[in-house]
Amino acid sequence: MSNVVMLTRIRLARNLRKYPFPCRLNTDGKNKVVETVVGAIKNSNSPLADDFDVLYVKDLSEAQRISLVEAHLASPEFISDSAGRAIVLSKDREMSIMINEEDHIRLQILKKGFDLEGAYDVADKLDTLLDENLDFAFDEKLGYLTQCPTNLGTGMRASVMLHLPALQKSRAVSRIAGNLQKLGLTIRGTYGEGSEPEGAMYQLSNQVTLGISEKAAIDNLKNITTQLVNQELSAQKRIAESVRTQDKVLRSLGILRSAKLISCDEAMTLLSNVRFGINAGLLEDIDINTIDKLIFDIQPATMIVNKQESLTAEQRDILRAEYIGKVLKK
Amino acid sequence: MKCQKCGKNNADTHIKRVINGAFEEYHLCSECAREMGYSNVFEGFSHSFADDFNSLFGSFFENALPARTQATRCETCGAGYNDITRTGMMGCADCYKVFADQIMPTVRRVHGNTTHCGKNSAAAKKQAAEPKKEETVSELDKLKAELNKAIENQEFERAAELRDKIREQEGQ
Ligand SMILES: [Zn+2]
Ligand SMILES: [Zn+2]
Repeated sequence: MSNVVMLTRIRLARNLRKYPFPCRLNTDGKNKVVETVVGAIKNSNSPLADDFDVLYVKDLSEAQRISLVEAHLASPEFISDSAGRAIVLSKDREMSIMINEEDHIRLQILKKGFDLEGAYDVADKLDTLLDENLDFAFDEKLGYLTQCPTNLGTGMRASVMLHLPALQKSRAVSRIAGNLQKLGLTIRGTYGEGSEPEGAMYQLSNQVTLGISEKAAIDNLKNITTQLVNQELSAQKRIAESVRTQDKVLRSLGILRSAKLISCDEAMTLLSNVRFGINAGLLEDIDINTIDKLIFDIQPATMIVNKQESLTAEQRDILRAEYIGKVLKK
Repeated sequence: MKCQKCGKNNADTHIKRVINGAFEEYHLCSECAREMGYSNVFEGFSHSFADDFNSLFGSFFENALPARTQATRCETCGAGYNDITRTGMMGCADCYKVFADQIMPTVRRVHGNTTHCGKNSAAAKKQAAEPKKEETVSELDKLKAELNKAIENQEFERAAELRDKIREQEGQ
């Protein structure tokens, strides 16, 4: 179950009543919001209080900014502008707070596997502790007031990152997507675009935030996710019986183990095949967590940040091949 | 500007993304955006999107009904109704009150609902917990009540006096 669901994420949008929303706030105002929020975190009685990093976007290199997006900690929108923006991260990166993205506060909890209730519980507690020190913009009727009305109400986006290689192969995802929308959910590729995203990784999230409680939204997402996971697993079982599929999985592992040059796209596709092979019981001596860590580590900007020097595309492809080969060595 | 995916339709959706280690801004037509999973919220009214809005949620209010009260500017943040329709962004918490009539039809359209259900901010709880202040009966209301009583009791001299006082107050 948790193998199809790779990550669970809860995001809460909050704003300070005293300040205009970021779109009508100049850099000075934004800096004050950063100061206020960081101060509130320090004074809060939360696990985040004594153990966090604050990164100011203006101080980060391009690669560092992008690697935050690759690690699912920041949004592309957040790094598109550096003035008055900062991100607060717990040491383990499970908790993070983007300050002055679309809202003053975008609080995020990121957990491995499928754990919507657990992630919400942490988010809810952190939010409550911050609320004690910050006066949030809230209206009895409209709920949490957000810069964009699409987030009004709970201000909550719950999402799961799913690995759906078998459903993607049978072209079922786009068919499912239309129905999901009627259920107030949306699905899109995590890496890459279109109906067949890189590595068959998809993000499924709730869309409606007003008039539905956090619990109801999470239950809904959980139900649909469970159904999708079951569909994926039965599709996996079906295609795993074919010799062609088995051949593809083993060849993918072979290339990953012995390539000299490998692009991120190619690596993602092959890692997805291997991940599928592990899930479907075709490969037994590889830990799925090793594959998941690789998927994260081989992202281009993350590689540059880890290497701490700038790299050309070819240097990256060499390094990526070396790294994957070493990790997957027999 | 033409859509960067199909190159045919006009681009009306602006997307920021990270692909292959690089940050990209991307202009798409509503069809391609939908295909790529970017515009679900706007299903059904994406075709009336203006050409030049600069965010995914821009022209969010394009189809809002004409408002009964035409507030033009929020005094707290200075945002005009035009700013809000152009960017799809509210300027501050008070904008929701100032432009309520204009935006509520769109909020209902997007969420299918206009009443929050779920967690309450502590600030809101505190407000709710505070004992409601006695409705202060205005001087004017007091005078009007006295006037009615006077008329009832046929104290016309007194009534005339009160009527003058009321006129005086209302004139202020
Ligand atoms: Zn197009
Ligand atoms: Zn305002």
